[in-house]
Amino acid sequence: MRNLRTSFAVALAVLGLVAITVPITRAADEAPAVALTTADLKGISTPSADDLAKGDPGGTLTGTAADIVMADPKAGLTLADVVNQVGQNRIAINFVWTLVAGFLVMFMQAGFALVETGLCRAKNANHTMMMNFMVYGFGLFAYWVMGFAIQQGGSAGISNLGGMNPLNNEFKLSLFGKDWGLFGTKGFFLSGNTYDVAVMVLFLFQMVFMDTATTIVTGAAAERWKFAAFAISTFFLGAITYPLFGNWAWGGGWLSQLGVNFKLGHGYCDFAGSGVVHSVGGLTALAVAMIIGPRIGKYNRDGSANAIPGHDITMVLLGCFILAFGWFGFNPGSTLGASGNGNLRIGSIAVNTMLAGCTGSFGAILYMWIRFGKPDASMSGNGLLAGLVAITAPSGFVNTVGSAIIGLSAGVLVCLSVEFLERVFKIDDPVGATSVHGTCGLYGVLCVGLFADGTSNYGGSWNGVDGSVTGLFYGDPGQFVAQLIGVCTLVGVIFTLSYVFNWFIDVFVGQRVTADAELEGLDLPEMGALGYPEFQLVTPGTGHSVDVGR
Amino acid sequence: MKALGLALVVGGWMVAVGGLLASEAMMVRMGAALAGLAVSLGGITALNSAHIETALWKSRGR
Repeated sequence: MRNLRTSFAVALAVLGLVAITVPITRAADEAPAVALTTADLKGISTPSADDLAKGDPGGTLTGTAADIVMADPKAGLTLADVVNQVGQNRIAINFVWTLVAGFLVMFMQAGFALVETGLCRAKNANHTMMMNFMVYGFGLFAYWVMGFAIQQGGSAGISNLGGMNPLNNEFKLSLFGKDWGLFGTKGFFLSGNTYDVAVMVLFLFQMVFMDTATTIVTGAAAERWKFAAFAISTFFLGAITYPLFGNWAWGGGWLSQLGVNFKLGHGYCDFAGSGVVHSVGGLTALAVAMIIGPRIGKYNRDGSANAIPGHDITMVLLGCFILAFGWFGFNPGSTLGASGNGNLRIGSIAVNTMLAGCTGSFGAILYMWIRFGKPDASMSGNGLLAGLVAITAPSGFVNTVGSAIIGLSAGVLVCLSVEFLERVFKIDDPVGATSVHGTCGLYGVLCVGLFADGTSNYGGSWNGVDGSVTGLFYGDPGQFVAQLIGVCTLVGVIFTLSYVFNWFIDVFVGQRVTADAELEGLDLPEMGALGYPEFQLVTPGTGHSVDVGR
Repeated sequence: MKALGLALVVGGWMVAVGGLLASEAMMVRMGAALAGLAVSLGGITALNSAHIETALWKSRGR
């Protein structure tokens, strides 16, 4: 028995030695790497014209060395041609990725339009839909004129899109021995040397983000916002307020430099815009809702609130699905590329986005079911959006457990926020925009500082600080402080700017329609046509009806 | 009241940023940022209270 054990031990030892030695031997046997030369390329065979003329049903002949663009066809294929093609392919992949993601985000406008119109009464359908439609036009114009330049005019160095070198001038103040980047100065009207292929890609992607922020406000002010006031307010948001914060966070401005200047983690980090897009839109929505006041019939004299149900819940939930679909452009697209610099993390970002949306919806429906005894359809939709909003900033830095927790908690948070704003603050927000985008946006910003797990690696650094973004729960309290400073800036500066400007509009133009127009519905007085001309529309509770279609 | 509210909102931000310049200790900076956020939120509450004072539903009943 003892001999048997000894033999077994010896056999194991021999096997172990063989296992260790064989790979070493193989490695030693491997031939040294030989550099590829232009001469090697001449020997590569490519399909003949006759072969190609027969068709390629299997796809084995299409896309070969013959398709590489040669600088000098007379000299034939050179190594420089191959290397240049590889570089251009990387940038091309990133261009296409960013553009397609931008197209998806643009389609979110349709989702917002459906959600907001469905949550409003039928007598305001045309007006609400038109506000959502025209933010695209007003916002784009403002952003093209000056918004993009203010936001990205000093953001040169985006290697995923080829360097972005024409955007090379940031206005900075030197205070307390530090540089404080305030706004960019290149790219007004996309003119001069910003007439550049890479700049155009960045413009399209950033423009649709800005448009998302502007469309948030229309929901909070729906059913009583004068169309002219909306147009001016949207222009200001797209031209100044949004781009300013966008610059501070994404354009190389002072918030992004908190890591370099004050050793606060990697500075303010907002991967896809919980702060830049959603909080800016949500806080502007809060400012406008305060100034414009609640709809007639929303509050009784004792301050108690009346429910004013929307007219089409199918529209609302379809809109939520469209938004969830578009969010796959919003978050994964914010890598600004799929090739190189750790951008293969797009898979993780997409899953995080999906998870947080689903858990957000779950959290909201659970809360409403327990609290009110029924699963509320509109709040489950808002829960989905809340989860998506909250994961937007952390999506590139957290793992799936973090994203599930963030989504679930945001789903509950949005319900609490809606109740708080309606009952305590007496803010009438017909679609819950302030809660979904403002509250959950700020929460998402803080979640970066809590849940970032330190595994992301986008080219080895972020905001000029080496290493990975790491939150408080994974050992970096500085990152949490940077996020807190970002939240304070959103609340302290962006809200104030939005409030002051919209107050001016209220004084000089008037933000609110007349009481008669509001009771009749804004479709005829403001837009000149009804959304549903063949229906008789009645306002519940007021007894006020509009006879149409006769 | 509205002006006071707005002043508090901006003042909160200044407290938070002032904390960065006042100390390099992380806890001090975090405390200043949290205090600043609280002041700003207090400012928004004050601003909103001023709006509620003159709200239409108080006079109309609806």
